Amino acid sequence: MPYLELKNTTKHFGKLAALDDIDLQIEKGETLGIVGPNGSGKTTLINLISGYYRPTRGEIFFQGKKISGLRPDQIAKLGIIRTFQSNVLYEGATVVESMLISSYQQYKTSHWQSFFETKAWKDENEKVVGKVIDLVKLLDLLNDTFLPAEGLSHGYQRMLGIGMAMISNPGLLLLDEPTTGMNHEEAKFVVDKIKKISEQGVTVILIEHNMKVLLDVATRVVVLSFGNKIADGKPEEVMNKQEVIEAYLGTETL
Amino acid sequence: MPPAGIWIDGLIQSCIYMTMAFGMVLVFSILGILNWTHGQFYMLGAFVVYYGIAAAGMPLPVSMLISAVLIGGLGMLVEKFIIERLTGPGYGPLYVTVATLALIFFFEGASGMLFGALDKGLATVLPGVLDLGSFSVSYQKIAVIIFTLIVMVAMYVVLNFTKVGLAIRAAAQDPVAASLHGISVGQVSLIVMGIGCGLAAMAGGIMAPVYVINPFMGRTPMIMSLLAIIIGGIGSLTGAIVGSIILGFLNSVIAYRLSYISELVLFLLVIIILLVRPQGLFGASRK
Amino acid sequence: MKAYIDYKNVVPKTVIGLMIFLIVLVPVMTSNMATLSMIILSGVWAIAVMGFTLVLRTGQFSMGQAAFMAIGGYTSAVLTFKLSMPFWPSFFLAGIVSGVVALLIGSVVLRVGGTYFSIITLALCEIVRIVAQEWEPVTDGARGLMTSPPPTIALPGFEINFAASPVPYYYFMLVLVAVTSLVFRQIGRSRMGGTFFGIAANPTLAEHQGIRLMKYRVIAFTVAGVFTGFAGSFYAHFLSVISPVMLGLWQSIQIMMMSIVGGVGSLVAGPLIGALLLYAFGIYVSRLPVFNIQYLLFGTVVVLVVIILPKGTGLVDLWDRFWRKVVWREKEFEFEEVEE
Repeated sequence: MPYLELKNTTKHFGKLAALDDIDLQIEKGETLGIVGPNGSGKTTLINLISGYYRPTRGEIFFQGKKISGLRPDQIAKLGIIRTFQSNVLYEGATVVESMLISSYQQYKTSHWQSFFETKAWKDENEKVVGKVIDLVKLLDLLNDTFLPAEGLSHGYQRMLGIGMAMISNPGLLLLDEPTTGMNHEEAKFVVDKIKKISEQGVTVILIEHNMKVLLDVATRVVVLSFGNKIADGKPEEVMNKQEVIEAYLGTETL
Repeated sequence: MPPAGIWIDGLIQSCIYMTMAFGMVLVFSILGILNWTHGQFYMLGAFVVYYGIAAAGMPLPVSMLISAVLIGGLGMLVEKFIIERLTGPGYGPLYVTVATLALIFFFEGASGMLFGALDKGLATVLPGVLDLGSFSVSYQKIAVIIFTLIVMVAMYVVLNFTKVGLAIRAAAQDPVAASLHGISVGQVSLIVMGIGCGLAAMAGGIMAPVYVINPFMGRTPMIMSLLAIIIGGIGSLTGAIVGSIILGFLNSVIAYRLSYISELVLFLLVIIILLVRPQGLFGASRK
Repeated sequence: MKAYIDYKNVVPKTVIGLMIFLIVLVPVMTSNMATLSMIILSGVWAIAVMGFTLVLRTGQFSMGQAAFMAIGGYTSAVLTFKLSMPFWPSFFLAGIVSGVVALLIGSVVLRVGGTYFSIITLALCEIVRIVAQEWEPVTDGARGLMTSPPPTIALPGFEINFAASPVPYYYFMLVLVAVTSLVFRQIGRSRMGGTFFGIAANPTLAEHQGIRLMKYRVIAFTVAGVFTGFAGSFYAHFLSVISPVMLGLWQSIQIMMMSIVGGVGSLVAGPLIGALLLYAFGIYVSRLPVFNIQYLLFGTVVVLVVIILPKGTGLVDLWDRFWRKVVWREKEFEFEEVEE
């Protein structure tokens, strides 16, 4: 049984088909890249998987269970976590506060225990804060821990976004253009982290425009164009296919 | 079947709320805020007209124009010095809302102090009735209807055929694109506020002979216009017109039966609309 | 290890201790019953403002909190006056009923955000007022209901007689305010408080991290409803009467103003300061000889406060900054050591 499966998934906005009859299977542990020109439906795909949109037609299954139609928080609780391209942050929160809010799923103690500050809560809180600090160190945000998140550079904001996704221990991580807005070094840093994440067994789907990043990190690539899937396979093969080149550059090659 | 007088009253109410709702929607489209002080400009306009006629002896239309200019200017001042400071990145809607609400108290207090809190009337303006067989309509009420028609036509012309109108529509649709085309959204905001408040003032002026004038007369029209634009759809000018018509007639026809039921029905209607179809009849899905 | 006085911990504790001492002794020091009443009523409003601020903490802007005071007040008034129930169970039920109403209404209405929600709460507040005004058999309509003071409590040595003076009410109110403050402060500091903040700051992001928005919005709204209901019941019994005009839209607006003047970022101190100052100001100003000037001044003051104070802060933040900068001479921004 595939880890994640999309069957006949279609999303219409009014008369516009953002995604048209997509079939997709993803195995556990894969790192899938999704590419395509702007407007091809990449973010829509992630929005559908994460529950932000409901498919107009078709169904989405996660580990055999149907998830299309569930609320985003229900889907997040199943271990499917995503990052955002824009609107990444909690306005007004510091880095560490953002991370703590995002660790919502890590807490097993009830709110009552937090309210009364019981020992069980304090112990768990220490553990979670420890994990947060680890992650913050990992993402090179240590110096900025108590600074407002909005003060970070764009690249570091993205990094924080990835951190906020990571702290929930995702089984399936959806990254929406993780390296956009980053310079060469920052992008390499992110690629490195993605590889580490993948080694820990997390399945990753990432939307990327940066070919270098893609070829470096993806085990498989899917190409979308105008809402249709036009290629699916190993990165090197797919990127050299005629249809893919045409989709990006147009058909006239005089 | 309620008597014709009730239908006329409904029409009058629709007209007044229409003018005010129109101004509110204009302001909302550009500034993105609900101006709770709008009713106060209605009230102030009525007072200016009152003094214009009673103290200075000017004819009604002149008083109304003066009132529009004065109060429109006042609105622009409010926009420039208060509203502008409280909107923008990082300011939630709370600040502007509280400020415009506080201004209600300010203006009511000010006019109470300046003009006294007792009711005044302008019953002597446009006296007489038009006899239409089974019922009669006062000239004052006819004036309201004519006024509203003129205003609506004028607004239509301005918005569709003048440069200013074009700038307003552009800024309402897409402020960023508009500013890229050289339209200063700040200036448009000022102009729109001036127009909106001026309209409210004139509405107050034309209504002055019909009902009494006192510092608190702005509260109900404010709430009613608010309900009207919700029914019609918050961002939409057509909605303001249609909503006001629905509201005006609903209000007077149902109030004919039982006064409080009409208020109850209106509020319930508004709640249901906001829950089920927040964009009202004509609004776009805009918050 | 150097021995030093930990100013940060000791000073607040001493100050707070002193303040508590003074607060408890207020009735002894003020023989002026009017001032005492004023303080008592500010306490009532402070609770309502805390409720408003809690709901605001989840990103929702309720323009109808006074409705919950009305519901609480009318519940205990009807129970004591019409059904002859004793005071304390009625008081308790007032809060419960108010909370249940908040729960039911909130579950329907909190789906909607922003301006739309505010207008809905505005409408609901007015509906409550209209119902109170017209439901003659239960609420006695516009005449309002009479309420009686809580019964005299006989303790060894002395008795607490509510009918005799405002002083017992003062202590009752202190207890109410203290309990509400503690609860709200704990909520703010707990994990739930952080979750509330997340929901307000970025609902989409929070949702995608597993936070169910409606659940938390309804919780905040209900908690606010319960405590505001208690405040309303107290209000009714302190003033010996409750009528529809006492708690309507304009009172809800005053609650909002008290919140913003005190500081919306603070769940406890802000509302307390905002309510006390603004209410006291309102009373003071209403005694001025020139009629209507109270409206004018009230409006002016609120507008000025809102404009002058830097964005996001209220009087409570000014107090905080004053304390830090002047008393502790802290630098504006703190860098904390992070352990490797």
